[in-house]
Amino acid sequence: MALLAVDNLTVTFDEFTAVDSVGFTIEPGETLGVVGESGSGKSVTALSIMRLIEMGTRAKIAGGRVELEMPDGSILDLLTQDEPTMRSIRGNQIAMIFQEPLTSLNPVYPVGEQIAEALRIHEGLGRKVAMVRAREMFDLVRIPEADKRIGQYPHEMSGGMRQRVMIAIALCCEPRLLIADEPTTALDVTIQAQILGLIKQLQVETGTAVILITHDMGVIAEVADRVIVMNQSRVVEQGPVEQIFHSAREPYTQGLLSAVPRLGSMAGKDEPEAFHLAGSLR
Amino acid sequence: MNTVVPLVRVEGVSKQFPTDGHARVHAVMKVSLHIDHGETLAVVGESGCGKSTLANLIIRLHDPDEGRVLLKGLDITDLGPREIRPHRKTMQIVFQDPFASLDPRVRVGTAVAEPLRVHGIATGEEANERVGELFELVGLERSMLRNFPHQFSGGQRQRVCIARALALNPELVIADEAVSALDVSVQAQVMNLMLELQQELGLSYLFISHDLAVVERIAHRVAVMYLGQVVELGSREQVFTNPRHSYTARLLQAVPIADPRQRRDRPLLTGEIPSPVWPAGTGPEVVNMVEVEPGHLVAEE
Repeated sequence: MALLAVDNLTVTFDEFTAVDSVGFTIEPGETLGVVGESGSGKSVTALSIMRLIEMGTRAKIAGGRVELEMPDGSILDLLTQDEPTMRSIRGNQIAMIFQEPLTSLNPVYPVGEQIAEALRIHEGLGRKVAMVRAREMFDLVRIPEADKRIGQYPHEMSGGMRQRVMIAIALCCEPRLLIADEPTTALDVTIQAQILGLIKQLQVETGTAVILITHDMGVIAEVADRVIVMNQSRVVEQGPVEQIFHSAREPYTQGLLSAVPRLGSMAGKDEPEAFHLAGSLR
Repeated sequence: MNTVVPLVRVEGVSKQFPTDGHARVHAVMKVSLHIDHGETLAVVGESGCGKSTLANLIIRLHDPDEGRVLLKGLDITDLGPREIRPHRKTMQIVFQDPFASLDPRVRVGTAVAEPLRVHGIATGEEANERVGELFELVGLERSMLRNFPHQFSGGQRQRVCIARALALNPELVIADEAVSALDVSVQAQVMNLMLELQQELGLSYLFISHDLAVVERIAHRVAVMYLGQVVELGSREQVFTNPRHSYTARLLQAVPIADPRQRRDRPLLTGEIPSPVWPAGTGPEVVNMVEVEPGHLVAEE
């Protein structure tokens, strides 16, 4: 049984169908890449799994199932759970990190307290114990000078350090699934490499499954085990990462891949070269 | 040394910005480079490395604190606002966010005609005709002339901005992260358009970007900037296949490669770029560039 099975998920905003009959599964410890261009429905899919999509928006989950295997082996359809149950699942079973860590962190609390808060709420730890654990989380996500940094406010940290804090908050309750929605898109490339490396390493250490949402085919190629390609609210193709990159069947995937600049592909060529667009872009 | 006068030559330009207190941002420090006719010089680097400030210095949106900018051999560094105007026709710029670059209440045809009007080149029917040609040149339809920016997709809006930049027949187009905000399929199409236009019109590009894979595709020569200074400068081949500065190597190492068969087991990188802010009266050390092979300059470490 998969850790998470999404079946026929459909989400609408009034007349518009943002997610249309989407289905996929993810196994424990696996990294599933979700790739697509702006507006393809990637983030709405993620927020629907977390049941965050209907909060304060006109979105409606119109149908489908999102089945999560619980630690005791039972299966829970997240779409039918009440809010208190969902609250116990978010953070504990499924955690999420977003593109912009600055908007995810509270500007008026030191970052250490924000990790401790998650531990107090979800694990029922006391204040002191929670701070000790928060300090350990800083080491886990390789934040240097942890003793000094733990008392800093978000604005005192760089984007990369803030994203490390977000990862620490997300992982502090040892979730079995981490949903990372464009986690490195706002970061410089050297910092991106650090954060992606960190996520991979932590996955090995903790066995967490990861759904990585990104528009960046390079990022997908580097970290995903399996890939789903989304376009216009639908999953157009899915498969192992090798298969998607080297024998994509759908014209949309072929087009997307033909538009991706690949470092090293110009070696030995004197002049710049246009993209030879394929598939749906031809 | 080139005997031909390059289109643009930048000699030792610097720009500092004051911050609150007595500190200063050393945005650009002693940068020297040139852009030849018909070539694309890419400037790459991470946030805050000074690449956009450098572009703004070349096009004289900022005045340099020191150094000179030469356009076709003519020193334009100290020209006043009125004197610089005719030279602005030679250099045009396209920015990252096409929505922010277009007035939401002005029809795109009017926006593209504006430079023609400002420079007294064409008005009325004549301007309309020229704008129609420009639209076709960038792959838009003439019938879209009367539309407003919100009626276009991001890629089409960037085409409008390119059309406007081309209205005055410039020789240099500065593209400041001009394809960075676009989806990858649209990005490829706009880059293909830029390459076509270069072939057709003999344009030079100063292509500012943080994306090395994009730069590798489009550039003839590449300058790598780090903390306000150029640390490596050379042909695309030299910089990408034989990087000699540790920062260039580090950047290249960090770029994800869109091919799962080329996955590398990389050591976990650590460390971040230091701040370019220095207390007044102090500053970073100026690097010394050494020519390691013809046309390939690297900062001594």
